[in-house]
Amino acid sequence: MIDRRAFVKAASTGAAVLGAGGLSLEAAARTLRQRATAPSDEVVVGVIGPGSRGKYMMRQMLRVPGVRIGAVCDVYEPRFAEANEVVGHAVPAFSDYRRMLDETDDLDAVLVATPLGLHADHVVAALDSGCHVYGEKAMGFTVADCDAITEAVGRSGRRFQVGQQYRYAPWYRQAVRRIQEGEIGEVTHIYAYWHRNYNWRRPVPDPSLERLINWRLYRENSGGLLAELGSHHLDVANWILGEMPARVIGNGGIDFYRDGRETFDNVQAIYTYPSGAKFMFSSLIGNQRTGFQIVVYGTGGTVELTLEDGHFFYEPARDNSAVPEELLAAGAPTGASLSTSGDMPYRGPGKLIEVPEDEVGDPNLLAAASFVESLRSDTRPFADERVGWETAVSIALGNAAAYEGDRVDFTDHVAAGETDETAR
Amino acid sequence: MGTDFEIWLVADSSPAGELFEFAFAEIDRIDASLSSYRATSEISRINRQAPVEPVTTDPETFGILRRSLEYSARTAGAFDITVGQLMRAWGFFRDQGRYPTDAELERARKRTGWEQVELDPGRRTVRFRRSGILLDLGASGKGYALDRVAALLRASGVDAVLLGAGQSTYVAVGSPPGAMAWRVNVPDPNDRSLTASSIGLCDAALSTSGSYEKFFAIGGKTYCHIVDPRTGRPVTGMLQATARVCSGEESDMLATAAFVTGTAGAADLIDEGPDRGLMLVTGDPANPEVGGLSWPDTAVAELRQEARGDD
Repeated sequence: MIDRRAFVKAASTGAAVLGAGGLSLEAAARTLRQRATAPSDEVVVGVIGPGSRGKYMMRQMLRVPGVRIGAVCDVYEPRFAEANEVVGHAVPAFSDYRRMLDETDDLDAVLVATPLGLHADHVVAALDSGCHVYGEKAMGFTVADCDAITEAVGRSGRRFQVGQQYRYAPWYRQAVRRIQEGEIGEVTHIYAYWHRNYNWRRPVPDPSLERLINWRLYRENSGGLLAELGSHHLDVANWILGEMPARVIGNGGIDFYRDGRETFDNVQAIYTYPSGAKFMFSSLIGNQRTGFQIVVYGTGGTVELTLEDGHFFYEPARDNSAVPEELLAAGAPTGASLSTSGDMPYRGPGKLIEVPEDEVGDPNLLAAASFVESLRSDTRPFADERVGWETAVSIALGNAAAYEGDRVDFTDHVAAGETDETAR
Repeated sequence: MGTDFEIWLVADSSPAGELFEFAFAEIDRIDASLSSYRATSEISRINRQAPVEPVTTDPETFGILRRSLEYSARTAGAFDITVGQLMRAWGFFRDQGRYPTDAELERARKRTGWEQVELDPGRRTVRFRRSGILLDLGASGKGYALDRVAALLRASGVDAVLLGAGQSTYVAVGSPPGAMAWRVNVPDPNDRSLTASSIGLCDAALSTSGSYEKFFAIGGKTYCHIVDPRTGRPVTGMLQATARVCSGEESDMLATAAFVTGTAGAADLIDEGPDRGLMLVTGDPANPEVGGLSWPDTAVAELRQEARGDD
C-alpha cells in the first residue's frame, strides 16, 4: 500500500480524489479469488477492540488474500491472548489506541469494533494518523460524532467503510434493485423486527467489569437495541427509499429486566420519510417469534428479508388493472379449470430470491473483501461514510425520541440541507 | 451442523443464563463457518472455489482442515473429510438414503480422497487437486464446537459443565458437585434402554458412532449412514464405536475411524493411556460381539455376558 505517512502529507496539500459509486460484489469476489498478492498489495490491519464482534471481523479479514493483522488494542487484557488465537500467532498488543497508531508504522487500515460511544474518538484518530477505517456500526453515537467522522474522512482523504454488512448481502442487493425497479410498486411502509429471547447480557468474570463487558446496557456508551440491532434495518430502509427520515416518534422502557441496566429492554420507533413512507422498528428481548425480519410493503407486493434469505409476494391483480396487450392480441385462453394450489404466492411461501451460485457469500466476508478491494483500487466503499452518517444520525435521533417519549424533527438537529446533501 | 446441542452447567442461577447464551452464540458462530448445509459457510465457500484456485481461509478453519487431513493420513483414509460426494451419492445429505447406480458411485469415488486436498500453511490456502471434491465436517465439527465452548466457559470461570451434541459427542469440564466425574451411559445397541457401559468423564471427551440412529433398508438389507471412504460403501458389520479421549474433535474422529476400520484396525488407532479408550460393538444385531481397548473391563464384561444371554 501507499506509505500512509507520505499519503497524509500529500492529502494535506490537496483533497484526495474520491471515486464515484460503490464497488460491485463481483469486485469483492475477485478480491477473494486472488491467487497471489504482490507485497505492495498487502493490507495490514490494526484492530481497536478485539472483543466478540472484533474477533469475528478479524476472522473475516483473514479470509481475504493479502491481509495481515498488524496490531491489536484493547483495555481488557484477556483480549490479547484471544486475538493471538484468532490470528494464529502473537501480534503486537497495545492498551492505548494512540500508541498503537503512533508506534505501528506499517498499518494501512484500522478495524474499530469498540463500544458505540467511543467510535468517534477511535475512528477520527485512526483516519488522522493516515489509516483507512472499517468502523463497526453504528458509525457514531451522536450527531456531532457522526459529523466529526465525516469531516475526518474528508480531511484525511482516507477511506471509511461502515459495518452495515447487509449492503453486501447478495439477496439484499437483488431485493433492493428489484424494489427500486418497481417490482412491488411504490413502497409505502417498511416494518422491521429484531426479536430475541434473552436478557442481552454477557457473562462477567468480575462485577468490576460489568460496565466494560456489558456496555450495551449502559447509556454512557450505548444506543441500546435501536443502535445495536435496529441500525441494520434502518440502513436497509434508507437504502430502499433513497432518502433519510424527516422525523421520528419513539417509545420503549426498562419493563422486564430491571437489573440495573439503563438502555431499554424493548423499543419501538416509527420514522417518517420526506416521501411519506414510514419505517417502523420493534425490538423485544423476551420473545423471538419474529426474529430478524424486514417487511417491505409496496402497492404491488411485499418483500420479506431475513438474515439468510428473502422472498417476494405479489398483491392480487386489481379490477382496474390495464388489459394486457397479449390478451388483446392473442385472445384469452380457455381449458380445464386451473389448479391454484402452489400458484398463489401471495398466500403461500412467496418467491425465493435466487442468488446465483457465483454470487453466494457471507455478507460479513463480502463486506471485508470489498473494503480491502476499495483500498487497493482506490474506490469509494459502497457502505461509505455517507451511508454511515445517514443511519447513525437517524438512530441517534430515534433514541432521543424514544427516551423522551416524544417526536423529533430532523431539521431541529441537522443543519438545513445536510440531509438532502447526504441523501442519495 | 444439523444437530441439537445440550449444556448442563453448574453455576449460580444469575450468570447461568448469560453463560448459556455465550456458549450457544459460539456454537452458532462455528456452525455458520463449518456447516455444509449453509451456502454462506466458509466450508461451502471452500467447496465452491478450491477446485478452481487456492482459497485463503482464516487460521481457525485452516487448523481444523490440517488436523483432519493429518488424521486421515494416520488412519489411512478411514477418517476422511472428503466424503461429501459419497454422502450425496448415498442420499445421506438432507434425505434418508438411497442405493446409487454403479456409475453414480464410481463418479463419487473419483471425487473422494483426502490426498486431493492441498494445504499451504505459508499462505493459509486450501486447494483441491481435482474438481468435485466436497468437504464435509459433519463427523468432527460437533466435537470441535464443544471443545471451543468448553475452553470459553473455563475462561469464564466455569469449572463444571457437560456439553453434548446430538447425544453422539460429549465434552466434560470438571465434575458435578459431590461426584468424581460426569456419568455418560453408552447404550446397548440392541436395546438402547439398556446401558452397555457407564463411563465417568472429567476433563475428557467421548463420542459414539452407531448404525442404528440413521439408516435405510433395501431388499431386507440395512445400510447405515456412515460411509467407508476407502470403499465408497456404507460400513457393514459394525453396530457401535465409542471413543474416549481428551478432546471432542479427536473423539469424534476416532469414533468415526474406529467404526470404519472395525475391530481389525482399531488397535492401530489408539495410543495407550489412562484417558484413552475404545469400545466396539460388532457383528449381527442379534448376536453382537463386544470389544474394548483400554476400556474399563467390568463394563465390557457385563455386556458380553448380556449378549450371551447369561444371567
